[in-house]
Amino acid sequence: MFPKGNNANSAGSPPTAVIRDLSMPNAAEKRLAPKKGRRRLMEEALRESQEQYRMLLDGIEDYAIFMMDPEGRIVSWNAGAERIKGYRADEIIGHNFSCFFPPEDIERGRPQEVLRITAASGRHEEQGIRVRKDGSRFLASLTFTALRGPAGNLQGFSEFSHDLSESKEAEAKYRGLLEAAPDAMVVVNQAGEIVLLNLQAEKQFGYPRDELLGQKVTNIIPEGFAERLIADDLRSAEDALAQQIGTGIELIGRRKDGSEFPIELMLSPLRSAEGTLVTAAIRDIGVRKAAEKHLAQMEGRYRGLLEAAPDAMVVVNQAGEIVLLNLQAEKQFGYPRDELLGQKVTNIVPEGFAERLIADGLRSAEDALAQQIGTGIELIGRRKDGREFPIELMLSPLRSAEGTLVTAAIRDITARRTAAANLLQKVEELKRSNEELEQFASIASHDLQEPLRMVASYTQLLSRRYKGKLDSDADEFIAFAVDGASRMQRLIQDLLAYSRVGTRGSALFDISSEDALRQALLNLRGAIEESGALVTHDPLPTVSADETQLIQLFQNLVGNAIKYQGPGVPKVHIAVASDGGKKWTFSVQDNGLGIEPQYFEKIFGMFQRLHKREAFTGTGIGLAICKKIVEQHGGNISLDSKPGHGSTFRFALAEGERKS
Amino acid sequence: MPIEVLLVEDSPGDVRLTKEAFRDANDSIHLHVTVDGVEAMAFLKHEGTHVHAPRPDIILLDLNLPKMDGREVLAHIKEDDTLKTIPTVILTTSDAEADIVKCYQLHANCYLKKPVQLDAFEILVKSINDFWLTKVELPSQTRGG
Repeated sequence: MFPKGNNANSAGSPPTAVIRDLSMPNAAEKRLAPKKGRRRLMEEALRESQEQYRMLLDGIEDYAIFMMDPEGRIVSWNAGAERIKGYRADEIIGHNFSCFFPPEDIERGRPQEVLRITAASGRHEEQGIRVRKDGSRFLASLTFTALRGPAGNLQGFSEFSHDLSESKEAEAKYRGLLEAAPDAMVVVNQAGEIVLLNLQAEKQFGYPRDELLGQKVTNIIPEGFAERLIADDLRSAEDALAQQIGTGIELIGRRKDGSEFPIELMLSPLRSAEGTLVTAAIRDIGVRKAAEKHLAQMEGRYRGLLEAAPDAMVVVNQAGEIVLLNLQAEKQFGYPRDELLGQKVTNIVPEGFAERLIADGLRSAEDALAQQIGTGIELIGRRKDGREFPIELMLSPLRSAEGTLVTAAIRDITARRTAAANLLQKVEELKRSNEELEQFASIASHDLQEPLRMVASYTQLLSRRYKGKLDSDADEFIAFAVDGASRMQRLIQDLLAYSRVGTRGSALFDISSEDALRQALLNLRGAIEESGALVTHDPLPTVSADETQLIQLFQNLVGNAIKYQGPGVPKVHIAVASDGGKKWTFSVQDNGLGIEPQYFEKIFGMFQRLHKREAFTGTGIGLAICKKIVEQHGGNISLDSKPGHGSTFRFALAEGERKS
Repeated sequence: MPIEVLLVEDSPGDVRLTKEAFRDANDSIHLHVTVDGVEAMAFLKHEGTHVHAPRPDIILLDLNLPKMDGREVLAHIKEDDTLKTIPTVILTTSDAEADIVKCYQLHANCYLKKPVQLDAFEILVKSINDFWLTKVELPSQTRGG
C-alpha cells in the first residue's frame, strides 16, 4: 500500500548504504594488503573498481551525488545532481557548494556550518531549502558525509541529496488516499509505535496528529493490537501478524478523553526499510454494536411475548418446517421443543396448514399466504401421542432474512367446540320442547273439541226438544250445561288460535294493511251493526306481515274496542304514523271504558280478564294472541288509556318493500 | 223412491246427530252407517253381511276411521270404475290444509268441516240435502244397482 520511503525520514536510507560503499576502496585495500606481490595488479583492479563506482554514481538520476574538497569546492558531479540542481558538471565543478543555499542562509554562514558539523560528527542529515541554477527553490533531503584518508585526515565531503518535492508529490497521492479512507488508519512498527495516521484516526481518537506520532499504539488500543505484533517462541513477528491478516478483530478503542468505544480492526503488513510495519484500518463499530444490542433486546422482548402468548405459536418457513415455537406449543402438542424444531409442520397439523403456504400456478407463496391472513381457519391438530383435537389457526407473515416466514397462532378449541355443541344441543332441546308444547296445545285443544262438540250439541238438542217439558230445575240445569259447553268451545277455539300464531305464519309478505283491516271489519260486521259503532281509519300502508295474523290482530283490537263500551256511540279510529325509518306505528283508539294503568301489563297475559263474566263475554286470550302476533312480527304492543276516556293500543310493523 | 245415503262414521254421537239432522231435512232418506273403512268397502262391494246392500246415491265420509281411514276409502272408491261416479262428500272435524288438498287430489266431490254448533250442523246437513240430493243431476247408472 505504501511505497518504500514514504516517510520523509527514511527517504535517505538506501543511498546512505551507497555512500558507505564509497569507503570500500579503503576497505578493499586493507583486505588486499597482505598480498603485496600482486600490488600492481591490485591497484589496477582497484582503479577499475573505482571507475565502475564512479560510472554507477554518475548514472544515478534520482539523487544528486557529488564530492567536495575540505573547503566545499565541488570536485565531482553526477547526472542526478545535474538534473536536480540544473548545473552541468563543467559549469559547477570548482565552485563552492554554498551556491546551492538561499542567500539568507549564505548570509548566516549556514554552508560553512554544515561542513563544520559534518566534519565533527562524520555525518549530517538535514532537510532544507535549496536553490536551483534558475533561481527556483525546492525542499531537499540531504546527507553529508566527511571523507577521511587512512590517517584520519579530512580529504573532503560528499553530499547526497534528493528533491523532496518530487517524492512529496508521490507521497501526496498516497496520503490523499489515506486521508480519504472512511476508516481510521494507523501504521505501527514492530515496537508498537505509531508511525503514520490519517485524519479519521485523529478524529476517532480525539488526538491531534503530532500527539500520536511515535506514541505507543496501546494508548489508543489498550489491548489486543500490540500483542498481535509480537513474536513468541512459536512464531515470528511476521507469522504472528500473518495470522491476523484480513480478519476483522473486535477490540476496544480509547479516546484521549478516556472514553472507550468498540472498534473493528483490519490488519495488513507493510514491508519497509524499517522492517515490517502494520497498517491497521480501525472502524468505529459503536453504531453497529448498538444496533446489534438493540436487535438482541428486541428479539428478547419478542421471545418474551412469544412465550407469554396464551396460544401455541409456531413459526414456519416456506418449506413447511418449524423454525420457532413457544412453550404453549410444546404443551399443546406434547413434544419437547427439540423434537419439533426443523420438523415438518404436518407432524402437528396434518392437513390444511402446509398446503396454505404453497404456491401454485395461479399465485405466489406470498399471495397464497396473504389470502389466509387474519382469518381463523379451523383444522385438526395432532399430539405426539397421536390424539387429535380441534384447533383454530391464525396466520400472519413474518418477513425475515430467510424469506417470508409464517407465524401461526394455534388455539385449542376443544372447549369452545364442546361448549358450542352443548349450546346447540340445548337450543335443539328447547326448540323441540317448544314445538312439543305447541303441538300439545294444538292437539289437546283439537281433540278436546270433539267430545265437547258432542256435549254442546246434545245439551243444545236436549234444550231444544225438552225445554218446558220437564220441571223448571231441569230447564235451569240444561241452560247451565249449554252455557258451560259454549264457553268451553270458545276457550278451546281461542287456545287453538293462540297456538297457531306460533306454529304458522313464519313467512312475511308485503301486504296491504288496509285490506287486512277491511277483512277484519267484515268479520266483525255483526258486532259493529249491533253496537252502531263508528269505525274510521287513516289510509293504511303496505307492510311486511302475515295477512291472516294481521286480520286477526285488527279483529281482536277493534272487537275489544267495540265490546268494552260505555254509554253513547262507540267510536273507533285506526291511525298510522311513520317513524321516518323502516317502521309504521299503528294505533287503535276508542272512546270506551278505558283501563286502569296498573292493568296495562296484565291484560296482555293469558286468561286475564278485568270484568265479570256476566258483564262481558270473553276468554281472556284475545290480547294475549295480539301480543303474540305483534311479537311474531318483531315488534311490541303497548297501551295508553285513562278510565272513562277510552284506550289506545299501539303496535309497530316493518314497512313493506313497495310503497302503497 | 227412497234416497240411499252411506255415512262412514265411527262416532255414535255424530251418527245420531247426522241421522237427526237428515230426518229433519228429508224423511225419504235411508241412512246406512258403516263404522270403519273396511266395512265401508264391504258395503260398497256388497260383500259379507252387506251382500244385499243398495248402491248409495251419496257417500258421507269421515277421515279418521279405524282399520282403514277415510283417505284410503276415498282412494279405493275413485279408482273403481263403477264406484267413482258416486258423489263422495268428506265430512270431518279436520280443517288441516294438508287433508283438504289430499282429498281433492283423490277426487273428493267436496270437503266439508263439521261445524261446532248444533244449529250450524243442522244447516249444513240441510244444504247437503238441498244440493246433492235435490238439485244435482247425476248419471242414471248411479241410481242403478
